[in-house]
Amino acid sequence: MGIKINALKCTNCMACEMVCSYHRDDGFAFLSACIVSYRAKEKKDYFGMMLKEEDVLVVARPEGLEINKIGEEADPDKEADASAKPMLLREGCDLCEDMDDYGPMCVAFCPVDAITLD
Amino acid sequence: MEYLSTDKILVIDLNAGQVEEDELDESLVEEKIGGIGITRYLYDKYRQDDPIVIGTGLLTGTTYPASASGQITAKSPVTGKVCHCPVIYKLGVEIKYSGYDYIVVKGRSESPVYLWIHDGVADISDAADIWGKNVWEATDELRTFVGDDLLQTMMIGPAGENGSDYAQVCFNHWSSPDRFGFGKLFGAKNLKGLAFRGMGLIEIAEPEDYVEQSLEILKQVKENDFIQKKGLAQILSALGEEDVVEWIQPVTHRHSADYFTPYATNTYLFLDEESGLLEESKKEEPGVLVSDIYALLGFKKAGLSAVDAGRALKACAKYGIDPFAVTQLSGKTTLDEIKDCFDSIKGEIEIPGKGLFTPWCPTGPIFNDFDLAGEDETLAWWERRQAVSMIFGIQPLFSLMCPELTEENMLELASLGTDLELTQEILDAVIDDILG
Ligand code: SF4
Ligand code: SF4
Repeated sequence: MGIKINALKCTNCMACEMVCSYHRDDGFAFLSACIVSYRAKEKKDYFGMMLKEEDVLVVARPEGLEINKIGEEADPDKEADASAKPMLLREGCDLCEDMDDYGPMCVAFCPVDAITLD
Repeated sequence: MEYLSTDKILVIDLNAGQVEEDELDESLVEEKIGGIGITRYLYDKYRQDDPIVIGTGLLTGTTYPASASGQITAKSPVTGKVCHCPVIYKLGVEIKYSGYDYIVVKGRSESPVYLWIHDGVADISDAADIWGKNVWEATDELRTFVGDDLLQTMMIGPAGENGSDYAQVCFNHWSSPDRFGFGKLFGAKNLKGLAFRGMGLIEIAEPEDYVEQSLEILKQVKENDFIQKKGLAQILSALGEEDVVEWIQPVTHRHSADYFTPYATNTYLFLDEESGLLEESKKEEPGVLVSDIYALLGFKKAGLSAVDAGRALKACAKYGIDPFAVTQLSGKTTLDEIKDCFDSIKGEIEIPGKGLFTPWCPTGPIFNDFDLAGEDETLAWWERRQAVSMIFGIQPLFSLMCPELTEENMLELASLGTDLELTQEILDAVIDDILG
């Protein structure tokens, strides 16, 4: 079981990022999210999602999915943007196993259902 | 103020080049709630220094749906009234997470400066290198200088530096809801802009209940038909401008939403690139992000093609001038004439009702009817809705779409979030105060 992201449906609202961080921090922040919207290329309107799983970094680009094994991907500049770098230090997706009432928070809160449980 | 807050008010004295911090007293929140309730209070407190007061709503940057926006409260150099401009995109949230709930900028600097606000630290910085540059250049330069492409800016361009009446404060590279000439005010203060970045943490009094209630409200919001739609053209179509949909479609790239906002209120137009391109464009500046429905419509009505309308909007965003004022006051009908006329825009645009809120927002509901009858009732509803959105920090277009975002549930979440008893009576008093 895992998280599936439809980057073309995504509207770059950051709701998933906020609730993912909340499930770890118990406060509102963006610090600990293992799912983030990359949005640094706003002048080109190029945005999508990144998800850190235990061993891989999933980059959901508009043109398709890219899966990078963590450790083998040495050049963070090759990632969607600078957010990839701090993400590598964060804990991987645990499918919100401690959030009994919700299940995966990002799935529950994505307003346009761009994230689903696979 | 412990919860839903950074607990800090920043007071910047441009005359003296000094930065001070005040605490945000809980008693002020109990009396004025937040957002423009407090920016208006701070404006009055520092009135003799002609302040610009920037703030965020009490719910801004949380899980309450569409809790995206901040506010700028200042005296409009165009209308002479103290007005409130919403801060949209992701900028409102960045302000709060940069470490301050409210920022008062008073006085005038001797030489051009910008304010760099990050992680609870504020600096007045020399703007010599970016003064004279357009909004895009200045934003790019600051991002390069700081080494962070996620830096969020409030910036003026040549229009503001030259003292144009309709100079606009732009957000990042894009036009804003500023119809009040706040860009002229920035320019008069020798203030090129503000840059924000922050990784703060906001505490919540009752986190579990707050998040649970947020999700309940979001589920109700998602029952709306508009949830299947995206972008500006659909909003204009719902307002009776159906032709826009076909006109704009060939240059429409993607739609994006403000923070946590369930409807994508921004549409990106590809002007020098195939609109169907999914990969990252190799061009540096392939288009423009548009949030101003009436400016887009104004250029269409002037007879411009969709591509030229996009180019005109891009030129306005770079120059830092209100594109809607250009459509209404220039009388120009070709792209070249439009690009040449920015320094000569003069005249008045109508600010509805009491003149406090921006007509960047339609003056009635969008997609839903909210059970309103007649023009007077609609206008009164609109002004109240604007006030409420800007007290709590709700994306102002979205609040016109979404009946499920009620004063009652905003108050409920504000109380859960802060542990204060924030009642309808308090909210009514704050609104009365704002509306005068
Ligand atoms: S399932 Fe939970 S941990 Fe995984 S990305 Fe979503 S919110 Fe984060
Ligand atoms: S919540 Fe959904 S729409 Fe918003 S950024 Fe995440 S995936 Fe995209």
